[in-house]
Amino acid sequence: MLLRQKKLMIPYKLSEILIKKGNTMTECIPLFISQSSISTEINNTGTWRFVRPIYQEKTAPCSETCPAGEDIPKIEMLSSRGMFKEAWQTILAENPLPAICGRVCFHFCEGSCNRTKFDSPLAVHCLERFLGDKGIAEKFPIPESAFQNNGKRIAIAGSGPAGLSAAWFLSRLGYCCDIFEADSKPGGLLRWGIPAYRLPKRTVKDEIARIIAQGVQIRCKSPISERFLKDAKGHYDAVFIACGYANPVRMNIPGEDLMRDGLELLHQIRSSDDPACMSGTAAVIGGGNTAIDVARSLLRVGVKPVMVYRRRKEDMPAFAHEVEMAIREGIELMELSAPIRIEQQNGQFLLTLQKMKAIPSESGRAQIVPDGDKTKMLAVNQVFRAIGAEAKENWLIPPKENTLKLSHCAFIEQEMPIIFGGDLSNPIKSVTDAIASGKQAAMALDIFFKQGRIEETLAGCRVGSGTALSMEIYLGGARKYRNPHTVSFEEVVTDYFQPADRVQPITPLPLSRGDIALSFEDIEQTLDSDSAIEESKRCFNCGICNDCDNCRLFCPEIAVFADDLRQINLKYCKGCGICVTECPRNAMSLEEEAA
Amino acid sequence: MRQVLEGSHAVSEAVRLAKVQVMSAYPITPQTHIVEALSEYCEDGRMNAKFICVESEHSAMAAVIGAASGGARTFTATSSHGLALMHELLHWASAARLPIVMAEVNRALAPGWNIWMDQTDSLAQRDTGWIQLYCEDGQEVLDTTLLAFRLAETVNLPVMVILDAFFLSHTYEPVDVPDQQDADRFLPPYSPRIQLDTKNPFAMSQMAPPPVYMEMRRNIQVGMEAVPGCFDRIEKEFESIFGRKYGQLETVSCEDAEIILIVTGTAASTSRHVLAELRAQGEKVGILKLKMFRPFPKDLIRQALCNAKKVAVVDRNFSFGASGIFAQEVRAALCNQPNHPPVFGYITGLGGRDVTPEILKQIYQLVKQTPEPVEESVWVGLKE
Repeated sequence: MLLRQKKLMIPYKLSEILIKKGNTMTECIPLFISQSSISTEINNTGTWRFVRPIYQEKTAPCSETCPAGEDIPKIEMLSSRGMFKEAWQTILAENPLPAICGRVCFHFCEGSCNRTKFDSPLAVHCLERFLGDKGIAEKFPIPESAFQNNGKRIAIAGSGPAGLSAAWFLSRLGYCCDIFEADSKPGGLLRWGIPAYRLPKRTVKDEIARIIAQGVQIRCKSPISERFLKDAKGHYDAVFIACGYANPVRMNIPGEDLMRDGLELLHQIRSSDDPACMSGTAAVIGGGNTAIDVARSLLRVGVKPVMVYRRRKEDMPAFAHEVEMAIREGIELMELSAPIRIEQQNGQFLLTLQKMKAIPSESGRAQIVPDGDKTKMLAVNQVFRAIGAEAKENWLIPPKENTLKLSHCAFIEQEMPIIFGGDLSNPIKSVTDAIASGKQAAMALDIFFKQGRIEETLAGCRVGSGTALSMEIYLGGARKYRNPHTVSFEEVVTDYFQPADRVQPITPLPLSRGDIALSFEDIEQTLDSDSAIEESKRCFNCGICNDCDNCRLFCPEIAVFADDLRQINLKYCKGCGICVTECPRNAMSLEEEAA
Repeated sequence: MRQVLEGSHAVSEAVRLAKVQVMSAYPITPQTHIVEALSEYCEDGRMNAKFICVESEHSAMAAVIGAASGGARTFTATSSHGLALMHELLHWASAARLPIVMAEVNRALAPGWNIWMDQTDSLAQRDTGWIQLYCEDGQEVLDTTLLAFRLAETVNLPVMVILDAFFLSHTYEPVDVPDQQDADRFLPPYSPRIQLDTKNPFAMSQMAPPPVYMEMRRNIQVGMEAVPGCFDRIEKEFESIFGRKYGQLETVSCEDAEIILIVTGTAASTSRHVLAELRAQGEKVGILKLKMFRPFPKDLIRQALCNAKKVAVVDRNFSFGASGIFAQEVRAALCNQPNHPPVFGYITGLGGRDVTPEILKQIYQLVKQTPEPVEESVWVGLKE
């Protein structure tokens, strides 16, 4: 003890100066303070510690709710630094179609954005679209895949988003993919089902070109048959079926054959570079996204559409934003009206509509029942049906037995495995869910061929606690180590953020009817680089270290050092936790020291 | 140049002229105007200084301690609860021998929330090792602040420049504001005797175990003992440039006085009028205005009071369980002197109550009529 004290003994310095008194230095004021040149490094403050800070990235709510599990906080962090190429490549790790998703995804990510409680959610879709377009325009390179061709061949039925996604990820994993497409051009729903004002043909083409460049073969006008599944054995090691819902659902009412099919109209309009003008009025029956697309497309070819829906506006399965846009464009909505008959009369179609009424129910969703025998008549020049679609043939529906049911796929484990994906098996029929399905199929097949346990391995690749899967996690990338805990708004230290307006994409709406008619131009514009950087700076970067350096700056023991990666010098870290408290984005945690 | 200045701004002007490099403060009434002006000077470039915004007075003092350890000329200002919150670090500043200057506006402490004049806040810090200088008017505030930097840097001890809340801090008076050139002549740039240096790293103010602690404390007292001499010399130099001086204390008509009133702060100015009136009536009264309280100028006090028959101390403060604090100190200074005059203590003007000429005259009559002090403190003007 004595020795120790001696070692710690501080040399004292008596500093004296002479005070000038007149012209002579006579007065002396001593200054005796403890002063030492011994480094304070001898004081191992780390021995005081009973909790230790760790760098522990967490899951952002946006990533968790993104069906494709995109690493949004990282994408925005890179974008905010102008690192667009890296940001784009980060999207591609989870989603091969950013320019498409930036336009048509219904951005569940924005619904869960923590920024919502602060001012307004980050405009993730605008940024994704910007990066997607930038990647195409500047021909950003695709990072080399770490996998060599493994000699296995996969047949993919359908070149919609699910098929394209499966082909992309499988070829990245070393598989050789052939896509069989029934139509004359690839893209499925992307090409035929989504109107050009939401998704230009050029964008679809550019995105598909990138997948073809990976070595994927797309054979158009090659529908697969039930027999194909038998013949494929020997030629292919697995088949992924994602043919979507090609058959319209029928209403089974008198005069049904007088109706046209909405999807068929969309297909017809998209087939032509210059859709033929139409005129008159049309009724569009249905309340889903397709019904909205049909109505808005009709408006653009010169027709005055009216939407007929048996429930109320708030019950429409179409995304609210789409409904709003349709109404802003001047499309009339006839709620609580169920068609029960169609007749031809004086060159027009006469719809008999059963009036419906809503009865509040205890379960929450109102029950919609006929309002007595009240009916009304609607006379239009055309009637379009858009109440839903179903699989074209029964064998395309995943069998219920002997099938491994995954969140976005159905897997038949057999010598030549078959996986059903896309709309055939997805809980939510959206483009991004279709992409998620393709990715899940690719992972499941890879696990199958590597003789792993499919369900367990996939569970380990989840982003947070949702169903989204991450290829980054599957391949063991750096972001694998983020904790599945989802960062809540309360865990963001908002003192470090300033309120800032959400970017407003340039939208020419509301257009006058005349302007909309015949215009299939993009409704929204892509952001410019400056706005994209500004907007991405709004991101809280929940759960990801963005090198803000707060941990290092606030550490009272100077125990945080940053060479390549930030690290904590445990010799001096006394476990005060200031670094964790001051981390604005919950990218650090405190753990108790082992006893 | 003569300007009509608020007392608070007399401080700000002196700090500007002193070319302080680092300031840190937390606002509190009635100190706010001082630092408000200074923060503007930093913002608009009139001062080339860093103003560190903090969340408390404790941090403000910590910030200037840090800056002073790095060799910067530093300033802060506070009042009442703010000063009380600084208490721990007041000890640090003096024992680390850092020449920090602080303006302290005398204000009462709560509860019984009260933002007005009362000396108990600064007097409660008398044992912290800070030099304390009390001021009577705006001019004295400016001059004392400027002088405080010279004094602090000479003896390596912090200085508190103390002014009355509102009576002084918020009152406008004509004040002569020196030219920068003259100020520079009086106060050269600070050259620290010890400062932290990244090129030659060392630590200061570490552990001082029993074998050295006492010597260090004694060393602070040696510094304190050098203050009166240094003060007089510095003030002489000040006078030669600016033509004004105040002294550690000032005696008015004390030579033949039978009764001497000891006063501080703005009450000194009131007492000058009372003195003139009483003298005109033939009363043999004198005034001792105490400017320096720490170190306590006991020799000068003994000298000034040796011929008086009675001494009356006017305290605008109180030490509970004892008496007025100035009276205690005066008694202590006299007690070992043979044949010293009796000391009468009067408590008045607490929490912003006026000390009017009538109050002072009443005190004079009380002393005159009372042969011996019966109580340590007589509370004057108490409502029944």
